[in-house]
Amino acid sequence: MSYKVRMKMFEGPFDLLVYLIENAEMSIYDIEVFQITKQYFEYIDQMEELDVTVATEFMVLAATLIEIKAKMLLPRFNEEGEAVIEEDPRKELVTRLLEYKRFKKASEMLSFAEEENRRIYQKPQEDISRYTEQPDEFLSMDLSQFIQTFHVFLLKKQKMEEIRKEYQRVERERMTIDQRVRYIEEFFQTAGVTSLPFGKLMVKKDRYEAAITFVSILEMIKDHQVDVHQPQPFDEILVQKLSSQEREKRIALDEASKKIIGEMGA
Amino acid sequence: MTRKSMKAALEAMMFTWGELLPVKTAAEVFNEDWKEVYDCLLELKEEYEQQARGLRIREVDKAFQLVTSSDYGDYIERLCTPVKKRKLSQSALEVLAIVAYRQPVTKGEIDSIRGIKSDRVMEGLLNKELVKEVGRTNGIGRPILYGTTQEFLKHFGFSSVKDLPEIEDIELAIHVEEGEKEPDPRQIRIQWTPEEEGKPEKDI
Repeated sequence: MSYKVRMKMFEGPFDLLVYLIENAEMSIYDIEVFQITKQYFEYIDQMEELDVTVATEFMVLAATLIEIKAKMLLPRFNEEGEAVIEEDPRKELVTRLLEYKRFKKASEMLSFAEEENRRIYQKPQEDISRYTEQPDEFLSMDLSQFIQTFHVFLLKKQKMEEIRKEYQRVERERMTIDQRVRYIEEFFQTAGVTSLPFGKLMVKKDRYEAAITFVSILEMIKDHQVDVHQPQPFDEILVQKLSSQEREKRIALDEASKKIIGEMGA
Repeated sequence: MTRKSMKAALEAMMFTWGELLPVKTAAEVFNEDWKEVYDCLLELKEEYEQQARGLRIREVDKAFQLVTSSDYGDYIERLCTPVKKRKLSQSALEVLAIVAYRQPVTKGEIDSIRGIKSDRVMEGLLNKELVKEVGRTNGIGRPILYGTTQEFLKHFGFSSVKDLPEIEDIELAIHVEEGEKEPDPRQIRIQWTPEEEGKPEKDI
């Protein structure tokens, strides 16, 4: 367990001086400068002993005190030996001390007021945005305008329905070549035949269908799955499914020729 | 609008608003004379006090707010533990006293009255929004002038700067108290007080 050395601090040199004067029960208007200066220095020494940084302001006031003390020691005569009524050298200091004391009292009053008010609790500004945001929207029209607008709406709806009766919404079918190849394979299987005319492989008779079916067939030829025959130009194309033996034969042939081409190249 | 219903409406408005509700804003809501609304608020404030309610109405700079009564502070503290203690330091109070009574005032004047520099303290007070810059003097370097804020009035329970007691009155009051002559707590002495370690005092 550690102990802390505690010493009450003064808020500034004036605070200290006022304390010393009051503690010595001196009149502020008749400060015994010698005694007060002595005590003042004792305090500063004490602070230094405790290794506290003494604010320069404390030293400034120390210098002022010495200056006042010196002035008071000097004889108040001029060169001709006449007594000179000089202003009390303490006067300025006293004025400043009195002013400081006034505010010191005011700060004590504030401290008291603070204590009195410390136990009053307030609410912070309420978040009233939930009342201010999204205000209700009101239709700025009278009843006849509203009815007219509604009629226009009904008319539009009616027209739209008439149009819908005659036209159908069309959607483009999207099928990949892979999907179509699989479809054709299945088609041959379920039909139980080995040869079919091209037209039969199309789901619908349109350009998109023709194109995707044609490209799929080309893909299947490359893969040695089918063979095509067209007896005459513009005649129906016959698609013939190859048997697995035939397919293997062709694949082997294909590879052999590739090899020969490769060797030739080398 | 009857006076009674206006007071009731003001009560409702203050509840919704939370913060200080300026009389001007309230008057605009009613489209009524400023003075009329102000009188209603004063009357309502009086009623709250007479009925010893848990809530009170506080006036700050011609604005009103519902706050709790200090009599029931204990309960609030027990409800909201731990409550942040917001006590100002002695030096902060000194600077505030000078600003409050001398405003608008420069830092130089404050330093001269206190006999010590107040920059740090001033910074703290500005951060706490107890004082604010209110302009500049025409003197050399055009130093900044400081004044107190609405927060200051709230913190110390004054309804306006004019509400501050005269310093002469304070002195008189303190003189009477001096008869009892309590020992000054700021004795130059060294104390061994380990049990006080946690207290926010200046340690050496």
